[in-house]
Amino acid sequence: MSLLAKWLRPGKDNKNATHDAESIEQQALLEQYPTLKIMQDLFADCADLIHWSWPESQLDMLYFSHLAGNEEFAREISEPFRSIAPDEMEEVLSRSQYKPALDCRSASKGILDGNVCLFHKGSAYLVSVSLPETRSISQSETETSINGPHDGFVESVLINLSLIRRRIRSTRLKALKLQVGEVSKTDVYLLYIDGLANAENVQEMKKRIELVEIDVVHDGNMLVQLIDDHPNSVFPLFQTTERTDAIASKLAGGKIVVVMDGSPSAFSAPSSFFEFFASSDDYYQRWAIGTMTRMLRFIAFVITISFTALYVSVTTFHYEMIPEDLLITITQSRSRVPFPPLYEALLMEITIELLREAGARLPTKIGQTIGIVGGIVIGQAAVQAGLTSNILIIAVASSAIASFVIPSYVMSASIRLIRFGLLLMAGLLGNFGIVMAIAIIFIHLSGLTSLKSSYLTPVAPINLKDWLDIFIRAPFSWIQERPSQTRTPNKRKTRIKQ
Amino acid sequence: MKEKLYPVHIAILVYMIQTGVVVFSLPRIMAEAFGYNGWLMVPVFTLIAALNIGLIAVVYRLSQGRSVFEILERSLTKIGAYPLYLVLIVVWSLLGCMVAKHYVYIFQTMAFPTMHPMLFKLLIDIVAFLLLIKGVYNISKATMSFFVLTAWMGLLLLFFVPDFEFARLTPFLLKGGTETIRGGLNGYTAFLGYELTLLLFPYVNTKKGFIKAVHAGNLLTGVLYTLYAFVAFGFYSLGQLTAFRFPMLDMLSYIRLPFVERIETLFFGFFFFTVLITIVMYIWASTEALNRMFPKAESKLLAAVLLIVIYGVSWLPDTLSKVEIWLKWLGYGQVIIAIGLPVFLILILLILRRKEQGHA
Repeated sequence: MSLLAKWLRPGKDNKNATHDAESIEQQALLEQYPTLKIMQDLFADCADLIHWSWPESQLDMLYFSHLAGNEEFAREISEPFRSIAPDEMEEVLSRSQYKPALDCRSASKGILDGNVCLFHKGSAYLVSVSLPETRSISQSETETSINGPHDGFVESVLINLSLIRRRIRSTRLKALKLQVGEVSKTDVYLLYIDGLANAENVQEMKKRIELVEIDVVHDGNMLVQLIDDHPNSVFPLFQTTERTDAIASKLAGGKIVVVMDGSPSAFSAPSSFFEFFASSDDYYQRWAIGTMTRMLRFIAFVITISFTALYVSVTTFHYEMIPEDLLITITQSRSRVPFPPLYEALLMEITIELLREAGARLPTKIGQTIGIVGGIVIGQAAVQAGLTSNILIIAVASSAIASFVIPSYVMSASIRLIRFGLLLMAGLLGNFGIVMAIAIIFIHLSGLTSLKSSYLTPVAPINLKDWLDIFIRAPFSWIQERPSQTRTPNKRKTRIKQ
Repeated sequence: MKEKLYPVHIAILVYMIQTGVVVFSLPRIMAEAFGYNGWLMVPVFTLIAALNIGLIAVVYRLSQGRSVFEILERSLTKIGAYPLYLVLIVVWSLLGCMVAKHYVYIFQTMAFPTMHPMLFKLLIDIVAFLLLIKGVYNISKATMSFFVLTAWMGLLLLFFVPDFEFARLTPFLLKGGTETIRGGLNGYTAFLGYELTLLLFPYVNTKKGFIKAVHAGNLLTGVLYTLYAFVAFGFYSLGQLTAFRFPMLDMLSYIRLPFVERIETLFFGFFFFTVLITIVMYIWASTEALNRMFPKAESKLLAAVLLIVIYGVSWLPDTLSKVEIWLKWLGYGQVIIAIGLPVFLILILLILRRKEQGHA
């Protein structure tokens, strides 16, 4: 067998061997004591690396100017070293901010993190001058808020951490620093509140992040797919958000939060399917309005997955379900359409998806044009041309609008995808097909877990107390306990056991 | 962490196993067997089922939560228990399979009459297989969500309130019934399903509350069945009830909303969820028994083989009436198992206990 495998994949072993030899050489180099020469070799062909030299003081330094802040650079480098005598150099370098670099690995990582690496008389030191350019804190575009806080996460993990720390001023808020990506070496912080988060969950999450094997991770949404319980499922299993208030509330609920550098999306775990229908805004409204909005979203879910499917099912197989008066309208509307309802619906659904995708990819102003062109051309002209019926336009439009009511963009996209499955089943087997499709969806959902807890919590396993904060937004005085899914050691919201 | 079943899961599971398509013909069966006010016998059946659950409770207490298969094998030896397993496998798997086919045939009286019933049956078996391989804990989770999806249908009874007349109930009590014993037995098969809890012992979370949960599930079934039958008896006359094959289905077709009517195909569709759980749990029970016979075999493979075999068997009855005859006989068999198996287990456990005490 192994001979056959070698014959089928010639040269693979050789390649591996070369790669291994290279990496051993590289490893050996990284273990050495850092000197200017070795460091310059390591960063060979990096045109953006700055090398400054003061021969009179025997001082050399390597750094990336674009990772350094002007003020920081002036404070740590320009001012201390500007006017000192060569014999004072060692005294300055003995200050605590100048940390000795003991091997090339830490020196190179330090430079990549925005430190200046100083070389003096055979010794190497690192000093942080890091202030990478970031965009300013602004409102999240995917999760807009009407009357809640407007600050959203940005791409810098340190700014994101500061936003979270400003909301939760507690020594119990812990942040474990981890790293993912063989090449990108991205910083990932695992946050939890000690005493509220389940210790097993924290360990499990830490283990999963440490075991990630990938070269580069670009975004929190990407990391989620690498560590969640069922990467092949269409549903998101950890909730991602760009809203700082949402993350603070998840932490306070006993969940674990992960933020990573370079991504404005933080995610919390464990999450349940129903949680994706809640928005932070619900808590900033009076409870009755919050409850109504939340219920509206569940109705929107039903509309999204069933409206077009029901249209197809009824107009293909179950005409008897339509009352007489309405039947006349529907038959008139469908009389000019030459296609079976399934084709007609698929045509419209795909068009709507095209419009949505085009609108998302284009700049806002052109996106609006696309909306108008799509609305008029697809809506009006398709009916006049006899390609589709009025009623279907209403069904497709309502289900598309309803899909956007779901606050989580990732969940909304998943639901839009499963809608096509329902549509096909309705076209093939009518109402029975719809019911079968719903059964399959729920069978799939019942098998899903989020950080080893049931994804269908609090319906299965049932927990009626959790319903107060999942299906409705009960008055705050009613919501006494943290979500059961977190398996928190401190159930009651009002106290923390010492 | 091994997940276990909580009492509420068990209660809902019992209710969902018990509730099936029989509910659509239950008022007719009661009318035929017991005549006027036959619905009064539904609570009596609930009570009989509760007594039967009492037997299961004794088994549970004596066995201290051990698996019934373990108990059987300890006294009968492995080989000795095999014939019993075989009987259980045949009855349970065929029941699951015939329940599915029954559902298909009833559905085809309303829609898709020209489509081959075995195609529908195949689809149901595939869905059942998908659920079956997820294990009993996930089955119970799916059951819970299906329960939530179907529980609201009880509210449909409100539609019949304006047309409900007490006069139709008449002052006669249980008069005018024919074939009381056989009809009654048929009616009792609507309550079957609770006996599968015998196999749930090893999967239960807490020792307390298990039997209470089974009773609660049975009670929920009993209350809902009584309500359905009561409303049907006040909605239709006795003559109508005995004339309709599926009176509840006809009642569903009576519901009209401003924008939709004749919704029985959709609502009957929703009953698929409860039927699916009945099917899956019977097949699951058979697979459990089969697993004892072939402990080294992969349970997913056993489930697949079993489903293929019974799919083949389900070609045999080719009309609704024939399926009903199969169901009737399998139902009788199941009644015997429901009562006989716990009694047999109690005897074995008592003998084992005496032996152990003798040794001590």
